[in-house]
Amino acid sequence: MYLNDFEYFAPKTCGEILDLVGRLGTKAKILAGGTDLLIMMKEKMLKPDYLIDINDVQELKGISYEPGKGAVIGTATKISEIEHSDLIREKYFALSQAAGELGSAQVRAMATLGGNSCHASPAAETPPPLVALGAKVVVKSIAGEKELPLEEFILGNRKTTLAEGEILTKFLLPEPAPRSASRYSYIGLRDAMEIDAVNMAVNLALEDDGRTVKSLRMVMGSVSPVPLIAVEAQGILIGQVFNQELMEKAAQAASVEANPISDIRASAEYRREMVAVLARRLLQQAFNAASGTKEGNW
Amino acid sequence: MNKPNYTQVGRSVPRIDGPLKVKGEAIYTDDMVLPRMAYGKIKRSPYAHAIIKKIDYSKALELPGVIAVITGEDGPNKWGIVPQTANEVALAVGKVRFWGEGVAAVAAIDEETAEAALDLIEVEYEPLPVLLDPQESMQRANEVRIHEDAPENILHAGEQLFGDPDKAFAECTYVLEKEFHTSYVNHAFLEPHTALASFDTPSGQLQMWSSTQVPHYLHRQLSIVLEMPMNKIRVTLPAIGGAFGGKGEASPADFCAALLSRKIGRPVKVTYERSEVFATNKGRHPCHMKMKIGLDQDGYIQAIDFDNTLDGGAYAGWGIVVMFYTASMIHLPYKVPNARARVRRVYTNKPTCGAMRGLGGVQPRYAMECMLDEMAEMVGISPYELKMKNAVESGYLSVSNLHVPHTEYKKCLQTAVEKSGYLEKHGKLPFGKGIGLAGGYYISGTAYTLYQAYKPHTTVLIRVDTEGGVTVHCAAADIGQGCNTVMAQMAAEELGIRYEDVHVVSGDTETGTFDLGSFASRLTYASGVAIKDAAAQINQKLKEVAAGMVGCRADQLEIKDGRFYSKFEPKKAIEWEKVVDVYTNAVGTLVGIGHFSPPRLKGIDLTRGKRVQGANIGHSPTFGFSCQIWEVDVDLETGKIRVAKVTEAGDCGQAVNPMSVDGQVEGSIMFAMGQALYEEMRLDAEGKMINASLHDYKVPTAMELPEIDTTIVDSYDPTAPFGVKESGEGPVQPTIPAITNAVYDAIGVRFTDLPITPEKVLRALKEKQALNSECSGS
Repeated sequence: MYLNDFEYFAPKTCGEILDLVGRLGTKAKILAGGTDLLIMMKEKMLKPDYLIDINDVQELKGISYEPGKGAVIGTATKISEIEHSDLIREKYFALSQAAGELGSAQVRAMATLGGNSCHASPAAETPPPLVALGAKVVVKSIAGEKELPLEEFILGNRKTTLAEGEILTKFLLPEPAPRSASRYSYIGLRDAMEIDAVNMAVNLALEDDGRTVKSLRMVMGSVSPVPLIAVEAQGILIGQVFNQELMEKAAQAASVEANPISDIRASAEYRREMVAVLARRLLQQAFNAASGTKEGNW
Repeated sequence: MNKPNYTQVGRSVPRIDGPLKVKGEAIYTDDMVLPRMAYGKIKRSPYAHAIIKKIDYSKALELPGVIAVITGEDGPNKWGIVPQTANEVALAVGKVRFWGEGVAAVAAIDEETAEAALDLIEVEYEPLPVLLDPQESMQRANEVRIHEDAPENILHAGEQLFGDPDKAFAECTYVLEKEFHTSYVNHAFLEPHTALASFDTPSGQLQMWSSTQVPHYLHRQLSIVLEMPMNKIRVTLPAIGGAFGGKGEASPADFCAALLSRKIGRPVKVTYERSEVFATNKGRHPCHMKMKIGLDQDGYIQAIDFDNTLDGGAYAGWGIVVMFYTASMIHLPYKVPNARARVRRVYTNKPTCGAMRGLGGVQPRYAMECMLDEMAEMVGISPYELKMKNAVESGYLSVSNLHVPHTEYKKCLQTAVEKSGYLEKHGKLPFGKGIGLAGGYYISGTAYTLYQAYKPHTTVLIRVDTEGGVTVHCAAADIGQGCNTVMAQMAAEELGIRYEDVHVVSGDTETGTFDLGSFASRLTYASGVAIKDAAAQINQKLKEVAAGMVGCRADQLEIKDGRFYSKFEPKKAIEWEKVVDVYTNAVGTLVGIGHFSPPRLKGIDLTRGKRVQGANIGHSPTFGFSCQIWEVDVDLETGKIRVAKVTEAGDCGQAVNPMSVDGQVEGSIMFAMGQALYEEMRLDAEGKMINASLHDYKVPTAMELPEIDTTIVDSYDPTAPFGVKESGEGPVQPTIPAITNAVYDAIGVRFTDLPITPEKVLRALKEKQALNSECSGS
């Protein structure tokens, strides 16, 4: 359970990081929270020659918000900060919920938002709500920076678009639409410390009438190598007056769209069924919240 | 007998070991660092069954910092907790029989070097077919043999017959026969096995510090493997982070540390990773059981037929004992006039099964309590009524000669039923909500040592002087269950002083007097007898001195609240310390020594008056009883079972420390709930464990903790010291069947295999639905 020998860097600025990653290339790994990286190193799945600790780089940390434009979350922002942020809770509730379910309290105090996406585990908690909320990531290299939607950034199980010399610096979350609400939930054996068998985030916006679905994002986790957008299911509800029958159809469509595998946590069949259950529950919750019926954001 | 008015026994006092643990100052074995200490690591087999063709560790020895490497040949003597079946070795010799079995061990200047050296040890294996299922293991025994001396791949098989069950079944009105399967679970104690050995070459003395619950049995096994006399070995227990049976045998960590230390003349410490704890398992036996129960027209049990195939894993361990315990457990807590048990413990290529909290009881209790729940429905009465009808009473003698000197089992059933509102809820809750009842019992110590000997099982020495005050010496193992605290309370009670003024020296084979170990829920009872014996000697001597000081006869003196006084003229009194001062000045340090030997009870078929093989196992000086009622909500869409509430009532005799009893009960409930709903070690087709971490092996978290309402029912066993019984293993017995019965009440499905996962629940709900629509469609 010992780490291989490596050289450790603790740069103070983004520029220094870019210089290091440009120079060291694939032999280096970024150390953010370390909650995935160090375990993989202990288990000898990774043996990087260099670790670049980005925790001293202030510009990569924190949550900021500008009304009308949305939020910016630095890649090295701790999950616990997101979990406890009033702003995230108020504006991006699904992300707040997912952050609260990631690992244990100890893990959340160390882990970062950027790490959760860069590690690109299919069972990760935060990518589905981020994709549902329309998050974009900013990828930077010495050559410059680019923005792309998170769903285009994550390519597969532990695969992202990050090329040599590139780092993820921040997440851009658009201002939530009026009369919209987002919700997240998961299926697992226990109510804490769980690796999700299935998870899902829903972000639903209503027209002025408070009944017609204006836009909808449904994103499933742990049922495909990447956060999977339930395109068919969304199509069933968008532009329609929200009702039980359509909701059920959408849930069934999501279940068909899911592409799960069987593993130690659950069978593919069970996962597929749970997609429908989560879809039904989350759609109803999000609709209720967006239309102002019954429960509010809590 | 009336219960005496105790002042120290029955007090909820904080645990002696509590403050240091809470402050993080308790020293566990792995915290210890000795000068020149080396670090040991064990190389483990990637195969579950293979011949070791060759081990080459020359490259490891070349690595700077590596001091020594040992293999099985360095300590090939066979050890085992049960001497008649001892077949384990410190490190594999010639063959590995389970994934993760140790094949070599390294000592190096630090742990990192030791770990690196493991990769440099080259082992050549010839893989053999892997047997993971006990049925398959028995069927393929002529083709694949796990142990040369077990031609059928069976460690041992036994049949016990009491009365005439066949005749009784023929006359029964209600007969039910079912199969049950239990899962492969581990204790998941917090502190992994760890051992620190320091061998002094000039004197030939070995000092061991180890995380064990059986210092005495470890002492014996070290003597066998190291070929050293026991008086040259000292075993000391630092703080222990839980054991639950998993440290109820020596572990290869102990032997490797000791063998390496002797080889290099330096202290060596071996601490397991969590994956090694799983690889060397010794957890609960998966049982494949068939049970048949017969009731007469009035619902009285007439006969039980029990067939059990225990999946033992690779080695013997506690196997034969666990096997006969499962057979004995059908005789209580109900009156069973006729019974037969056919049991066999089978070898498979898995990490070995062993002792785990409530050993031998949990599996048959699951079957029996679920079946009685179902049979109550056949009879048309509530499970509560059926169990009350059949419950044993004080003085009961089973057909197998188990003697129950005292029981409040009926009071447990009544209390839990009343407090939970069971009768108002059972069968009447909406679909998806359910309530389930189950009872259980457990031994309070055993009648025999594991090796042939009839010496006292526990000896306590109490020392009194003006300098140290009162010190209780006993080599008992406080593994977190709190025996040091209750020993202090019982000694204080008997000496007439306060618990706070008693020191306990335990967990050391040199400074402590003999004790067998912490298992079989034996210590409160056993040490209680010895403490009373030792304290009586001290009281007698002090009374003789006090008598002269207050001016009355010694036999008229009482001792209470730190004072000697005449029971006829209470004004004639003197402080306890003053008497000790006078005694010490005149005579010197005062000691009393007391022993406990259990009654030698025999397993006899009372209808024939014949001894029955293996039936000595299961006897105990007394038994604890309890009842649990679980309320569950089943999510009908996801199959997830959420526990709403647990109502428990237990008979642990006189509780010495009620707060500690509550802790044992709550801990037991969480412990057994894990096996019922979440936990299971999983192996791939080659026998490699795929969830050997607490990440993937799912013990319940605080989030799963249900509301728990416990009651210590009023009880006092007049035959027991201070009226005590066990409280640490009985409460795990009813949990699994109570949950299973509650799930039945919720959704009408009786689960007969564990754990009851959401996926199984959902599948069962669908099958039920399909069946219903089929029936209504036709």
